[in-house]
Amino acid sequence: MPFSFIEIEAQKSRLIAWLFIFLIGFYFVTVYLVLLVFQNTILSTMVAASIRRGLTLPSFNHVLIAFFVAFLIAWAHWSFSTSRLIQRISLAIGAVPADLRDTYHQYLGNIVDEVSVAIGGRKLEAMVIPTTAMNAFALEDFQGRAVIGVTEGLLTRLSRPQIEAVVAHEAGHITSGDCLSTTVTCSLAELYEESLSKLGSGLERSRGRGGLVFLLLYAVIGFMALLSNLIRYFVSRQREYRADAISVRLTRDPLSLAEALRLICGKWHGAGFDGEKMSSIFIVNPEHSALDDRAGFFADWFSTHPPIAQRIAILADMAHMDPSSLDDRLKDFKPASPVARPFVSAQPVLSPKGPWYVYLDQLWRGPLTLEALQKTTGFFLTSWVRSEGASTVMQASDIPELLDLFRSPSSPDAKGATASGDCPRCHVPLSQVHYEGVPASQCGFCGGMFVSQDKVSRVFARQDATFSPEVVRLAQTAWTVKKNGFLLSHPKADPKSLLILDCPHCAHKMRRQYFVYSYPVEVDRCTYCDGIWFDKMELETLQYIYENKEKFFDGASF
Amino acid sequence: MIIGIVLLVLLLVGLIWFFATYNALVGLKVRVENAWAQIDVQLKRRYDLIPNLVESVKGYMAHERQTLEAVIKARQQAIDATNLQDKMQAENFLSQTLRSLFAVSERYPDLRADQNVLKLQEELTSTENKISFARQYYNDEVTRYNTMIQVVPTCFVAQAGGFAKRDFFQIDDAAQKSAPQVKF
Repeated sequence: MPFSFIEIEAQKSRLIAWLFIFLIGFYFVTVYLVLLVFQNTILSTMVAASIRRGLTLPSFNHVLIAFFVAFLIAWAHWSFSTSRLIQRISLAIGAVPADLRDTYHQYLGNIVDEVSVAIGGRKLEAMVIPTTAMNAFALEDFQGRAVIGVTEGLLTRLSRPQIEAVVAHEAGHITSGDCLSTTVTCSLAELYEESLSKLGSGLERSRGRGGLVFLLLYAVIGFMALLSNLIRYFVSRQREYRADAISVRLTRDPLSLAEALRLICGKWHGAGFDGEKMSSIFIVNPEHSALDDRAGFFADWFSTHPPIAQRIAILADMAHMDPSSLDDRLKDFKPASPVARPFVSAQPVLSPKGPWYVYLDQLWRGPLTLEALQKTTGFFLTSWVRSEGASTVMQASDIPELLDLFRSPSSPDAKGATASGDCPRCHVPLSQVHYEGVPASQCGFCGGMFVSQDKVSRVFARQDATFSPEVVRLAQTAWTVKKNGFLLSHPKADPKSLLILDCPHCAHKMRRQYFVYSYPVEVDRCTYCDGIWFDKMELETLQYIYENKEKFFDGASF
Repeated sequence: MIIGIVLLVLLLVGLIWFFATYNALVGLKVRVENAWAQIDVQLKRRYDLIPNLVESVKGYMAHERQTLEAVIKARQQAIDATNLQDKMQAENFLSQTLRSLFAVSERYPDLRADQNVLKLQEELTSTENKISFARQYYNDEVTRYNTMIQVVPTCFVAQAGGFAKRDFFQIDDAAQKSAPQVKF
């Protein structure tokens, strides 16, 4: 390491001591100002005898008390913010621990373990932010627990060596000791951001009575939000260069880091709504900041991240590459996926008409009508059938008309139902599958799939699925319907008529609705657990629209 | 009298320096040993993974008996090796055979469609990376340790304390060692 362990520790505690002193100083100034205002407005009107002679300054005793109060507040703020540091911040930016049943997350876990070996065996935890943006962060607390997290989008859009380089960059923050102070800084600032937004909404609600009190509080806290902005200047932008250097030292691969940075800054690198307040823990600033792209004294002081072009130039130089040739290398870049067998959608459903032939006991039986078919012994969802005159043979479960024969007549309002884990349409047990590496439950017969709420965003971040022509047509139709303003919003429909299915996870009713308004595909969303049931091809259709959204939103006509 | 005190102080300072240096050397040595232990952990993990991989790949790659046998043999050699020199050689050979196994597996598209095989392959790739990172860390620590016991004032303490030089974990790979040949 470029620094010795002792140097790092000394530097760490020095910075943190400065932070604490700054906090006391800030509160002292605040309390002093409040005291000043108080003395010169309220007191002077109460004491009639007092003669106006400009400002009355607080006496020495008052200053002493102010200092004591400031110390107490600073101490309370400090101890509140530094307890459960990692938990608090990961909650604020929406990061969750890596799910080891998920193929992509396993892969991230492996990479983080590798880097942990590279820095000498210190334990690192892997976390994921479920957003399709691309970014990465590191956190550390006083107990020595260290966390490295990446977004879902980064995980899918970068190759293994590139992710390794990014994780090594974050490990660089941890080993060089600047991670702890950054984490503390963010935690201190977070308290105000949070209370500010809470009070803001409180203010909205209580116009009129009590509003004045809120207004006063709001002013005080707004003033203190200054603090969170000031505190950021404790974070030096130099540390990003240093972490880049450590990453190269660990992986010996400057090119991958340069490529990763180029790819990240070419995409949306936000970190969700809340993450943007904590820009300093991320590898690339989630907020768009013109300051970041500038060099020089002023920018060095007031920006948390150095210009990304400069970082890339330095890294490319290490690899003896021209930074401009990076773009050519990355033109058709597509990372190898850790997921086996790209999910291929089923063949187009042609919905052939009867009469039917069914293959039983090595013989084709038929022609049979629907009623006769239902009475045939041995006929089941897995049986092979073909229709009159057709050459293609299909399984009964692929033909909606035949599938209907197996549906048990479900009573629409069965009270006290328990979660069955069965397919809400076919009432057969769901099997656990991995769709694009995400654990989900799928019905083997109708092909519908249940994805729990926390995993939906993961599916959309991943791009392993290939799309059948049927899905493409469905997506285009859905889009055309939306564009022509035929979107059905069910305003007149009886709300109860939209509660069709029972959630296989929690047995509550699921509501038939659009996935979101801008992606006009209807899905069934559980009214209780927010899990989503996708009928066959609904998920692929949504994914197709999402992955080609530029094309769709640009108004291409089909 | 004064000379006596000066001598005593000098002796005391010398002693303190001696102990401090000795302790620092012990610290470095322990770090080197710890780094070695880390390599060992990863090597063991690789031994454990290989039979699983060979077992699940066997069905697909009946024609690659030789490659599979080479991997198994290399694994056994690596386990049996006792001294450091042999161990390094055997491990490097094992890495090489594994690499050729992965290269050959590219020819079998069925393998790419088996999630179990892919998972094992990912685990093994990860372990390979961990081995090389552990080796890198070990070599860094050995560099520091070896430098420390050879620079001037410290080397006396090292000699008195019996600190011996440590070997690097080197890559003896023929493919990586041979210089590229240029033909005109």
